[in-house]
Amino acid sequence: MQNAVDVRDVVRRQGRFQLGPLSLTIPAGCIFGLIGPNGAGKTTLLDLICGVGRAQSGTITVMGMDIARDEVAIKQRIAYAGPETSYLPWGRVGRLIDFVSGFYPDWDDVKCESLLEAFGLQRSQFIPALSFGGASKLGLVLALSRDPHLIVLDEPTTGLDPVARRVLYAELLNRMQRPNRTILIATHILADLERFADRIALIHQGSVRLAGDMATISERYVQIDVALAAGADAPVVPGLTLLAHLGARARYLGDREALAPGWESTLAGEIVERKALALEELYLALESTPPVRELAA
Amino acid sequence: MDIAQICLQLGPVSASGEGPLYGQIVAALRREIGAGRLEAGMMLPSVRALAEGLMVSVITVKRAYEELEREGLLSTRQGLGTFVSMQGHERARAQAEIAIRRAFHDVTAIAKTARLSEAKLVSWLRDAFRTGET
Repeated sequence: MQNAVDVRDVVRRQGRFQLGPLSLTIPAGCIFGLIGPNGAGKTTLLDLICGVGRAQSGTITVMGMDIARDEVAIKQRIAYAGPETSYLPWGRVGRLIDFVSGFYPDWDDVKCESLLEAFGLQRSQFIPALSFGGASKLGLVLALSRDPHLIVLDEPTTGLDPVARRVLYAELLNRMQRPNRTILIATHILADLERFADRIALIHQGSVRLAGDMATISERYVQIDVALAAGADAPVVPGLTLLAHLGARARYLGDREALAPGWESTLAGEIVERKALALEELYLALESTPPVRELAA
Repeated sequence: MDIAQICLQLGPVSASGEGPLYGQIVAALRREIGAGRLEAGMMLPSVRALAEGLMVSVITVKRAYEELEREGLLSTRQGLGTFVSMQGHERARAQAEIAIRRAFHDVTAIAKTARLSEAKLVSWLRDAFRTGET
């Protein structure tokens, strides 16, 4: 099957920040979560995929088409909602919708009305008077009142109340029932991705640090707490990354793919606990290097 | 004892962990006291300090301390602080034994239903004990 997005060896420099070289494949038919710290390059990557700005090198294809050559064809089949879009000059919600809808052959008036209702928005509302969350919802209504094959959402739940967040994800899951629909979401609400995403990628300082399907990733890593003899150094074991070592206690992030069978017997210490990690805990562990240690006396 | 170190010993507690947050703290304290890694007479951090260290509310830590006081693993002396009680270690071990016997009871019931022989069950137990796999 054709991939929704193929990013190959892309490099984009912006001042002191450099994204890439970065390669990422987003298969069609999945909800793909993009995570990573502020400033890691998530928004830059989403912008490039949406055709905002050009990479200095590398290629990006969207649904098999080249973003530079087939820009119009791609934009007909892609929708974007992000935090920086401002609709303030448009006055009323209805006026904005009437204007935007004209650009898209696949605009669905019925869907638009039902989304407005689900999000508690009215066509007669004055846009500058909307709350922060209200403005986010308006951006989502514009993106989702069509039938795009690829939906790109940058921080879509920022400012949304829990009910609105459910409305959004219910809508996204509903769309996934149609064939080859793909949703790419950058978010910091990791619990949402854990529940809804099929695949994720962790972006760190402009590169992909970890990518794969959600189920495999959540089974691959484990937190291991070890009680050591007093004064002993934390043992070094392939597949274990030291997260913290304080007193007679060490905490590791274990990578089941890298741990040799029987590694437990080589460990000079007692395993106190091994614990599956929620995505948020894994994220914190991966981002917490170097390890926490006592300061030298 | 250093607050960061005791938090490493007890934490992390999180909504994705098993049971309520206070229950996760209770379980960790039981485990550490039972294994002797928190010794009798040792002073625990104040409720506020532990709450800050584990990033939970004060009420959550208070509830955990209170539960273990009722069970006799901890004791609070007004104005002084909360300590691992003198019989804390024995009590925690006794609790662990009860939990083990209860688990064996459940395992045996499943084994009987599945017509598993006693010898087989014992050999599996021995394997599990050796490899330490959980």
